[in-house]
Amino acid sequence: MTSLSASGMETLPAPAEAPAILRLMQRIWHIRGEVPLPADLATDEAFARLDPLFAHAGTVHARMGDVVLVTKRDQLAQDPLSVVDSGTLRIEPGEQGPTLRYHLVSRALLYCFLAPLLFLAISQLTVFLGTLDKPTPEEIAKEKAKKDKQGEIKLNPIDKFLGAPAPEKPKDEKKDAKDKKKGDDEENEGFSPITAYVFAGIFAALYVLGRLLEPWLIRRLFQRTLAG
Amino acid sequence: MDGIRVGKRIVGTQSPVTIGWENIPKVEGGTFKRLFFTWFQPAVLFGMIAFWYYAPNSIAKFSTAIGIGIGFRIFLQILEFVNPRHKSWQITWKELATDLFYVGISATCVQLVENYIGSDAIIEALQSTFDFDKFAWFTGLPLLVQALLSLFIFDLGQYWMHRGMHNWYPLWLPHSVHHYITQLNVHKGAVGNPLELFLIGLGIGGLFDFLPRAFLLAGAISMSIGAYQHINVRFDSPRWWRFLFNTTEHHSLHHSQDFESTRSNYSNWFIVIDRMFGTCIDGEAELLGMEGGRRMSIREQMLYPFTEGWKAWKERGVREPMFGDHPTAVPAE
Repeated sequence: MTSLSASGMETLPAPAEAPAILRLMQRIWHIRGEVPLPADLATDEAFARLDPLFAHAGTVHARMGDVVLVTKRDQLAQDPLSVVDSGTLRIEPGEQGPTLRYHLVSRALLYCFLAPLLFLAISQLTVFLGTLDKPTPEEIAKEKAKKDKQGEIKLNPIDKFLGAPAPEKPKDEKKDAKDKKKGDDEENEGFSPITAYVFAGIFAALYVLGRLLEPWLIRRLFQRTLAG
Repeated sequence: MDGIRVGKRIVGTQSPVTIGWENIPKVEGGTFKRLFFTWFQPAVLFGMIAFWYYAPNSIAKFSTAIGIGIGFRIFLQILEFVNPRHKSWQITWKELATDLFYVGISATCVQLVENYIGSDAIIEALQSTFDFDKFAWFTGLPLLVQALLSLFIFDLGQYWMHRGMHNWYPLWLPHSVHHYITQLNVHKGAVGNPLELFLIGLGIGGLFDFLPRAFLLAGAISMSIGAYQHINVRFDSPRWWRFLFNTTEHHSLHHSQDFESTRSNYSNWFIVIDRMFGTCIDGEAELLGMEGGRRMSIREQMLYPFTEGWKAWKERGVREPMFGDHPTAVPAE
């Protein structure tokens, strides 16, 4: 934790408003919000209460008048602002008195948003490599012979005595033909894209969860901290 | 810190550790809670064995195993909230997302690579080159013997690979990043460089012919024993369990910030292997990680073995032989 205090300096001017489309895109990984300060809480006292939040490993913060700039690196898991990489906290006059306005940037949210695309790309790579690695007729015949052999294997007498089901018998030709389509999928089981699709879905769900949960947790954290 | 003498070595000089089962905190709460967290692990293990032993062929399938595996992980994740071992290991959204990223990479990219250069692919290539068959006699053994023997043989190989990683710099590099985790949670086993995940998965299982049911049994047993290495749940495991199997306590010590403690408890499932070779320490640690508990980003985890390896390679002319015979670290044993 490093603190660069310059409270006596003039405050930073408010940043220029970004175009609407950019602001919309930024909502993916930017967290904006505001929390009204408790009555009679002076700016200095408010920042003093927020100060412990920046006392975590990898955090650098600097105060310039009514603004605090924060940057974070290698945030520990238990850092309450661990999703934040940089941002500003500004105390401004509001309709109902002074208000803390914050604008935080989270690369974790951005990467989580992009992760489904990565896993979809992996799924397509898997499909592509699977087409290059189609088994030859000899390999298919060998695999079938192996399966047939497996069907001939008898259970150990101990397992028989204990009642374990015997291994499946090899399928007959008719059934084989019926299952051929299914078998085609199984032949290339090392190149199934399903796992990658599942993880694309998991990260899409995780992003939605994080986008809703983290801003709520951060707002609650600021509210509680300012309330003392 | 004075440290604690364990056999010939002194542990806990760099970071606090708890040694001895009698010093480890117990599950707190009512009778049901204490009974649940005492017998949950054995109940799951024996339940899984019974299920996979007797399930009809129509159910005893790989897809069923995947479904049970996912369900079990979700249940363990819930247990982390019900009875956490340490508050300082609590899962957060970012931590969960990070862990699942590694799980995803392991389940997709690492699996993809293993199609070409995994141990099974290598063994298959050797078999076709030298024209030798698998050890077919293995399938004649009772199902449980097949499952347990294959797990034990794999774990023996994994023990020496893991111990090698802690003693030989080129293997330490890909493994080192896994030791930067600062807390244990359900999916932390997958956190690490993909190169390490590939190395640790190498085994000689491909040499043996299994009955499919024995293979599924082995998977279920490994899940029922191995799921607790990285987890933030406090269990009061029965004495026989912690004598035979690797527990969260053992593995937390292996991940401790104390260097000497990390050189213990190398096995994956059977801690008796560590007992056999004198590397087992019964105890636990809360403060985990390297460099005083610095958290490593995903980017650094991916690059670290290569950047550090390159640095070591460049320095080879001005220092002792890079991968010389004499280790710079004092052997644990």
